[in-house]
Amino acid sequence: MSRVLIVIDSENTKNAIELLEVARCIYLEQPYETYAIADGDTSNIVIGNFHHVFKSVDDLIKRPDVRDLVDVIAELQSAYHFSSILVPATQMGRMLAPRLAMRLHVGLVADVTGVEHSTDGEIHLVRPAFSGKIMACISNYGKTPLMMTVRQNVFTYEPQKKLQTDVIEIKSSSKPRRSVNLIHTTAKPASHDIRDSKVLVSGGGGIKRDFNKLEALANALDGQVSASRSIVDSGVATRNVQVGQSGKTVSPKLYIALGIYGALQHIEGLKNVHHIISVNTNKEAPICSLSDIVVEGDAVEFIEKLLKKINDPTES
Amino acid sequence: MRIVCLVKFTPDVENFIYDYERNVLVREKTRMVINPDDACALGFALKMKQKSSDLKVDVITMAPMSVLPFVEDLIRRGVDQVFMISDKRFVGSDTYVTSKIIQRGLSDLSYDCVLTGTHAIDGDTSHVPAQLGELLDLPQISNIIKIDEQNFSQNYALIEVDGESSTSSYEVELPAILSISKESKYKLPYVKYEAVSQDVSDKIKIITNETLEFADEEVGLKGSKTKVARTYVKKMTKEDRLVVQNDEAGIELVYQFLKQKGFLS
Repeated sequence: MSRVLIVIDSENTKNAIELLEVARCIYLEQPYETYAIADGDTSNIVIGNFHHVFKSVDDLIKRPDVRDLVDVIAELQSAYHFSSILVPATQMGRMLAPRLAMRLHVGLVADVTGVEHSTDGEIHLVRPAFSGKIMACISNYGKTPLMMTVRQNVFTYEPQKKLQTDVIEIKSSSKPRRSVNLIHTTAKPASHDIRDSKVLVSGGGGIKRDFNKLEALANALDGQVSASRSIVDSGVATRNVQVGQSGKTVSPKLYIALGIYGALQHIEGLKNVHHIISVNTNKEAPICSLSDIVVEGDAVEFIEKLLKKINDPTES
Repeated sequence: MRIVCLVKFTPDVENFIYDYERNVLVREKTRMVINPDDACALGFALKMKQKSSDLKVDVITMAPMSVLPFVEDLIRRGVDQVFMISDKRFVGSDTYVTSKIIQRGLSDLSYDCVLTGTHAIDGDTSHVPAQLGELLDLPQISNIIKIDEQNFSQNYALIEVDGESSTSSYEVELPAILSISKESKYKLPYVKYEAVSQDVSDKIKIITNETLEFADEEVGLKGSKTKVARTYVKKMTKEDRLVVQNDEAGIELVYQFLKQKGFLS
């Protein structure tokens, strides 16, 4: 039976379960067992969803020097011979996975957004390349373990029947390394994650100068403001509200795209969006071809008119 | 103190030309730029060099010979020496092989700190800094937005990292690989007017496989652990879209749509 190891990032547990869907996409009908490696206080997330969990009692996953964790996983690999190792493409995962792949002498595919099976039985991992302009299907020549980091918020896992999770406690055999020491940490305000928002009012190059006008419309629709890369690059908005391949993947029910052209790298950040309304002076902009409604015209004027209508529906 | 900066020249992805008919990137027509995150890393190093005269800044880059003019400009911007790894045999190397090549290229250099960018705008895998860290058995930290200039010495660095849910500062023992984010806003200095035509050839060392001595099957496509099996361009269109004007009727339609779908009460 194939064994899959899934790394749970204790900083970012929300998307941990999605990686089970990746495992399902790899093995389909073939039997496989899932193993999670998680820190002590995050193991609750995996109980009932995984067959086995390696519970780290000494907070290996939180350590700033990922070498300690690499040591432990490399040891587990020689004992359990996992056929694939899935790592979330979080900041920790992106530092961990390349080192681990190098240690295990295997290839690594970054930021996977899809799994395909080729006609000759090879597994192809799909990822956007060249800023999302093209999709690349990548093979590791069938070597094991198959290693990847998985783009967050892309796969959706439907929970199956509850499993009896067997808990295996692990400790790192060597002393923790002392070369990286945390001095202090400041939490960011939690309410601003655009990935949690049901409505996003998003601005692009076409509305750069009036980006602050988006806030009022977002408030009226009980949503949040997000931005395209060109807005973020110009310094008008911060990177944590950026939608796209180099920003976040979002799945709101409503996405209002104001002055957004819709380059592929931006479109890559829209997954399972129910409705798109785009406002653009160019109705042939790529974003418009994905929209339920295209408003041809100026985005600022649109905001003003729509807000007026929302505030006083009787006036016409 | 010696800093080595790892620099990548990438196609300017914002303005590149893709041949959708033949499904290939038109590289000849694509302008090369210094990867933005790497430019910030080098910007920091050169800023430190201006402050202390005994600090040396070297660059190591793996690039085709066509970027030589950009490499020359790095010297004119203040870099002491550039080690340019360039060999046709290395074309097609994945990140695994690339890291090994760079490791070997670094083996004759002495350094207290390796600075890199976090992301590259073309591949955007962020593999090489971490894999190089593994090969050199050095700690590697990504997404650095600040390095404390007062407390940057041969022995340690104080850094600030922009995390997903927090901002953290760490003390890192050197040598280490510090990967800077574009958010750091460190700027690459301009080429000074008097340096524009300065002859810099003695400060650029081209490193080929004659020196690195990899076997053919260890590098390029042959040595790579991954291969691109195929590529495609995603085409998506929505069939039943409505196009309206930004007038009363258009706004009314949007308003009714928002109400109907429950976004407005």
